[in-house]
Amino acid sequence: MSVFINKIKEILFSVLPITVIVLILNFTITPMETPIIIRFLIGSVIVIIGLAIFLIGVDVGITPIGNIMGAKIAKTNKVWIVVVAGLVLGFFISVAEPDLQILARQVDSVTLGVISKGSIVVVVSVGIAIMLVIGLIRIVYNFPLYKLLTILYGIIFFIAIFASPEFLAISFDASGATTGALTVPFILALAIGVSKLKKDSKSSEKDSFGLVAIASTGAIISVMIMSILSKTDGITGTLEKEIPSTLIIYPFIHELPIIAVEIMIAILPIVIIFLLLQKISFKLPKKDIFRILVGILFTFVGLVLFLVGVNAGFMNAGSALGFSIASLDNKAYVVIVGFVLGVVTILAEPAVYVLTHQIEEVTSGYVKRKVVMITLTIGVGIAVALSMVRILVPELQLWQFLLPGYMISIVMSYFVPKLFVGIAFDSGGVASGPMTATFILAYAQGAADAIEGADVLVDGFGIIAMVAMTPLIALQILGFIFKRKSQKGGLENNGK
Amino acid sequence: MVNKSEAIDIELICIIINFGLGSKLVKTAKRCGIKGGTVLLAKGTTSNRILNYMGLSDVKKEVVIFVCDKETAIQTLEKINIEFKFCRPNNGIAFTTSICASIGSQNYNCNNIQKKGGVNHTMYHVITIIVEKGRAEDVIDAATKAGSKGGTIINGRGSGIHETSKLFSMDIEPEKEIVIILSEVDKTEAIVSSINRDLKIDEPGNGIIYVQDVNKTYGVYK
Repeated sequence: MSVFINKIKEILFSVLPITVIVLILNFTITPMETPIIIRFLIGSVIVIIGLAIFLIGVDVGITPIGNIMGAKIAKTNKVWIVVVAGLVLGFFISVAEPDLQILARQVDSVTLGVISKGSIVVVVSVGIAIMLVIGLIRIVYNFPLYKLLTILYGIIFFIAIFASPEFLAISFDASGATTGALTVPFILALAIGVSKLKKDSKSSEKDSFGLVAIASTGAIISVMIMSILSKTDGITGTLEKEIPSTLIIYPFIHELPIIAVEIMIAILPIVIIFLLLQKISFKLPKKDIFRILVGILFTFVGLVLFLVGVNAGFMNAGSALGFSIASLDNKAYVVIVGFVLGVVTILAEPAVYVLTHQIEEVTSGYVKRKVVMITLTIGVGIAVALSMVRILVPELQLWQFLLPGYMISIVMSYFVPKLFVGIAFDSGGVASGPMTATFILAYAQGAADAIEGADVLVDGFGIIAMVAMTPLIALQILGFIFKRKSQKGGLENNGK
Repeated sequence: MVNKSEAIDIELICIIINFGLGSKLVKTAKRCGIKGGTVLLAKGTTSNRILNYMGLSDVKKEVVIFVCDKETAIQTLEKINIEFKFCRPNNGIAFTTSICASIGSQNYNCNNIQKKGGVNHTMYHVITIIVEKGRAEDVIDAATKAGSKGGTIINGRGSGIHETSKLFSMDIEPEKEIVIILSEVDKTEAIVSSINRDLKIDEPGNGIIYVQDVNKTYGVYK
């Protein structure tokens, strides 16, 4: 049973901090209503169990599928197969991604239906599919990641000139929203599967990362282009606000079937494509198939539990927390608590967990999980704190953070070890997962609600974009330190 | 290559331990006088049938290897045995095997490759080369030049006395590649010296090579 206990232990370390912090806040500066706190605690327990099952499922089910597919695709040695496979995989995975559905629904409502939900889902999925193909081809043809990223972000900033500020926020948010808890492990595994085949071990290692980053630029570009083509300048309309329920158990039961269906739809394309390819080309032994299917079942159950816990337990707590802290006289609290919440939330993000494990595996433990984790938490903490500053000071615009931020990260990518460039840009998409999208977003919207002059809608968008950006800089700094430190310090010990 | 002492017996310590403890083990070993170690990631198995059925059979492990003289090996293992409690089940296993030649480890340059003939004559040697990440291909090239048929590359991480730097009190262990080559006894010398020449193994910080006897091989053809 040691596997399961070890997983639970690891998960406890990642979920307990957020629980403890919220409880401390509850008993000190911001008392919350009892039902919210009880629901938060129930949510935490469900999240812990769900996350443990999900991560085992990813290990046993999703990662092997991605690896096998990646390796098979690369082994065919034909470009058209890479292109077709990338397009099909990219499209169906993103169409099914629950986060994209949520984003599309939001865009639909704020543009008063000018950009319809259906069209945005399709267009973004096509964008991601095309970028996935480009990313795969990059690995196969050894095109350096930092150059490709420079080109892609160049294009993004060029288009951004024509986009309205509100849509800038939405499109950058899209990059984070579309790389959800299920897509990320799969794309990561796919990249590793392809690049593992390389003879040159150094480039094989660094090419294992970066695919998530490239795929997410597809989302940014397509949302921007859509907003320009449909000539929607401002955003109007309002987000319907949920009235916090005073019932304790009901929200969990209410969320369960909705999320279960969503995840079922999300997981289905991967399973169907896998089973098809299994019939046509993989021909894995029965035992392996069985194992992978069990893994997928785990992934499903785990992810459903996790999301139910987060949506029903964490969301209300987040906005209640944001609202009451922002109502305090001293506004510095919002920023400080924002930082702390950013730090603890990211620990519980499932995709972050998967990424850090992959990093450790690919580098044989040279880049340790803990170091990446610490760097990431600091980065995200700063992102949330800055977002709070932006809510407090209406004059600050999102692009004033994003433009310099991305400029710095692109410039840095020319100097830091290339392995870290991939890791950093991947972690950007990874950090902005379901946990951030619910808890942190709810916190920010709660805060914006309480602050005069802050618009819940406009200020709400853009937070995911921030969370997706700061890790780029934080992890590249880490890469820089690693480079300095790994140099052989002194052969002066010579012969001693 | 200087043969400082033909008489020293060199041993290879191999320890299999739960994931995450590798770096700690290398640290302990260094305190006991070992000059450097290499860690490999590996998977172990559980014998629990229910877990196997559920697809939970993989347990992550780390394999740690050290090269050192016999005396240090015994001392180190004693120490490690106490500190990591190998006497209890599920805490890991350790074993040592003897090495007949090694280059690159400053204190233990030696060459005991036996050239005697006879019935018990070993036909093959296994040559293990540990180098910086990215140089394994050079090793294979050098070995092929000298008549080797191929080699197997394993990824690992590790550090010697020359490369201990810290990041927030954590040791940084650079990535390594481990190349395993099976060679016929009479070619060993040539292969080793070819690799040594090309990669300058006998200069400090460039990696190590060790050679061990192999009792039986299958699948190796002339």
